Amino acid sequence: MNRKIRVLIAKPGLDGHDRGALVIAQALRDHGMEVIYTGLRQSPGQIVQAAIQEDVDVIGLSSLSGAHNSLFPKVVELLKENQAEDIPVIGGGVIPYEDIPPLENGGVNKIFTPGSPTEEIAKYIKRLIDPEASSSLEPPEKIAHIGIAVSNIEHALPFYTNTLGLRLQNVEEVESEGVKVAFIQLGETQLELLEPTHEDSPIAKYIAKRGEGIHHIALEVKDIHERLRQYKEDGIDLIHEEAKAGAHNSQVAFLHPKAANGVLFELCQHEEGE
Amino acid sequence: MSSTFHDKKEQWKKEADKVTERFPERKDTFETSSHIEIDRLYTPEKIDEEYVEKSGFPGQFPYTRGIQPTMYRSRYWTMRQYAGFGSAKETNERFRYLLEQGQTGLSVAFDLPTQIGYDSDDPMAEGEVGKVGVAIDSLADMETLFDQIPLDKVSTSMTINAPASVLLCMYIAVGEKQGVSKDKLTGTIQNDILKEYIARGTYIYPPKPSMRIITDIFSYCYEEVPRFNTISISGYHIREAGATAVQELAFTIANGMAYVDAALKSGLEVDQFAPRLAFFFNAHNQFFEEVAKFRAARRIWAKIMKDHYKAENPKSWKLRFHTQTGGSTLTAQQPDNNIVRVAIQALSAVMGGTQSLHTNSRDEALALPTEESARIALRTQQIIANESGVADTVDPLGGSYYVEHLTDKMEEEVNQYLEQIRDLGGAVQAVEEGFMQREIHHAAYEAQKNIENGDDIIVGMNQFQIDEEVNPELLRVDETLEKNQIQKTEDIRNTRDQAKVEQALDQIKQASHDEHTNLMPLILEAVKAYATVGEICNVLRKEYGEYTGM
Repeated sequence: MNRKIRVLIAKPGLDGHDRGALVIAQALRDHGMEVIYTGLRQSPGQIVQAAIQEDVDVIGLSSLSGAHNSLFPKVVELLKENQAEDIPVIGGGVIPYEDIPPLENGGVNKIFTPGSPTEEIAKYIKRLIDPEASSSLEPPEKIAHIGIAVSNIEHALPFYTNTLGLRLQNVEEVESEGVKVAFIQLGETQLELLEPTHEDSPIAKYIAKRGEGIHHIALEVKDIHERLRQYKEDGIDLIHEEAKAGAHNSQVAFLHPKAANGVLFELCQHEEGE
Repeated sequence: MSSTFHDKKEQWKKEADKVTERFPERKDTFETSSHIEIDRLYTPEKIDEEYVEKSGFPGQFPYTRGIQPTMYRSRYWTMRQYAGFGSAKETNERFRYLLEQGQTGLSVAFDLPTQIGYDSDDPMAEGEVGKVGVAIDSLADMETLFDQIPLDKVSTSMTINAPASVLLCMYIAVGEKQGVSKDKLTGTIQNDILKEYIARGTYIYPPKPSMRIITDIFSYCYEEVPRFNTISISGYHIREAGATAVQELAFTIANGMAYVDAALKSGLEVDQFAPRLAFFFNAHNQFFEEVAKFRAARRIWAKIMKDHYKAENPKSWKLRFHTQTGGSTLTAQQPDNNIVRVAIQALSAVMGGTQSLHTNSRDEALALPTEESARIALRTQQIIANESGVADTVDPLGGSYYVEHLTDKMEEEVNQYLEQIRDLGGAVQAVEEGFMQREIHHAAYEAQKNIENGDDIIVGMNQFQIDEEVNPELLRVDETLEKNQIQKTEDIRNTRDQAKVEQALDQIKQASHDEHTNLMPLILEAVKAYATVGEICNVLRKEYGEYTGM
């Protein structure tokens, strides 16, 4: 997409509070978008006309007066009547939480509540308009480790340390997962031997079902929270929707093997400076 | 000891004694919980001319320490909660509830169509009727709003600007029906159109005719409604739009000067209207800066009125103000935290010597306040007044090195802005050129960036977040209300004397371009004939045109 994203920021109805609308407009401009601000007191009809005339990619509505339930759907409806329903509509302002589902089910793409960072809104718009080019996430940097399921670390280790001559980094227990893990340094990455500590541990089940062997590949990332949020929005199958504590003070989360043709990927983010 | 200091102190003591005859102090002696006696006022040990000149005594020029000699030792500030939603009947019930709960003044919130001069059945009003305040179309609605509330016993503040003349006339008409004459009515109309162009958005006509209507109100009230505050020059919304404390104060005072200039130009004498000018400020979280702002405001205004406008009546020098805590500082996350923010802000207003105070409700970032939230907000003020002891001596922070420094600094920076605005040709000109709007927008954007990059921490929003089920009970405005209100207004239109209405509207039209005829008596006749807010404003809209901004 070469053209700049064009956004119409509009104030439907009689509400005169435009601090939020103006701040959003400025922030989106700083994100390289072209922003047209309608000014106050626009009827849904005027907003839709302006959106079509200005050939915008998205409409942002702001209302703090409580009139959103009648005005936002009206904009969506008029877009349809004018065969312009391909222009997505987002909204914000003072909007009670319980009003959000009906609005979002009624054709408004997303409602942002007070306190939403402008950064998040800009990212959302970029993804909405151009899902492919706009991934704002950096690709993973490297393989953090390869996880190998073993029944007993002590028995498995000599192959790695003696035969291959690699160095054992450390052994620790991750209670939440019911495993003991041994990290073996291999260049800039690691091998992670996983031994179940009790019968209910996922690793125990894995070994029971498929035998010992490669269990997962962990990718080193820098933005695990944002990444998970985005994956979730994009409908990627996740095992963990929130990151949790892993070995070495890291934050980890697993994607579902369905997302990657049967390979189990782990996202792994280490504390700064580790 | 300086003799000026001594004289001024004696003078202050005499004035305080005079005040306490009318309003005795709340207690014979004030003391702390450990029985340390509290004096009415504390002053420096070593006295110099500078103290007298910069701070002075409460009730004395330049009023830095307060506009009354005894301040809250006699009477607390007026606890005035802004309320109004839905129909006149519902709002009337809320008013009577608040009065029963010990509130001492009323404050009316109008819905947006009323504020912009549209009747409820106007297509522009769709979806907005009764949403942010009460819907008033005709005198009949106003009669319902004040049913069983004697207008000689309460003071009423009305947040109404462009159609302020119409709503004030309706209030006068309700008073007449109750047998209360105009000269007994007390209260305030906001009537500050300049800040509508700058920050709040409920303007109708362009600046020039708007200023004419305002000066008509000034001169009518001087003659007929002498106890009513004819304007509340408002920094509140300027601050909410993102201004800094300095900008809030500077732009408000610049606007105040524009109203004084307009009134003088229309032929009024400064001491005829200046005593009825009131102000309205915001209280945000930076406690000491806010206290300094209120103290500086009084000093700056007193000097302007005395030295620049040569007002002679000390009442013209006194800056009286209402304060509301900062709606934009409240968060939707962990809404109960807002109770604490409001308490800190309210405390700054009290330490700053406010005459009246509205405390916001914790759920305002989510919706209009529920009854429970509104009660907690009022209780916050009552706790400050009755339990904290801060009201037991006058200007308790006076003399703090920090607060005095901030007060001086605030005055200095406000004066710089005032000079800049004067160079642009005054506030009206500056507004038309968008000067204040731009300054505010820059400040607002910077504030947002500081929050997003974590330089400024908002508890619960960008730090100390929790996973929360956000499901507080919220106030809903009944969706059938719009229909009922439209029906009610239609009934009025069908039963009133139409010829009388048309004649009254025609007279307003005739006088609209004649600056020698005061519009107020004509508007009063029209509202008594049950002409609606929309009908009256539409006549003027046609004559004056509409302001479109930007």
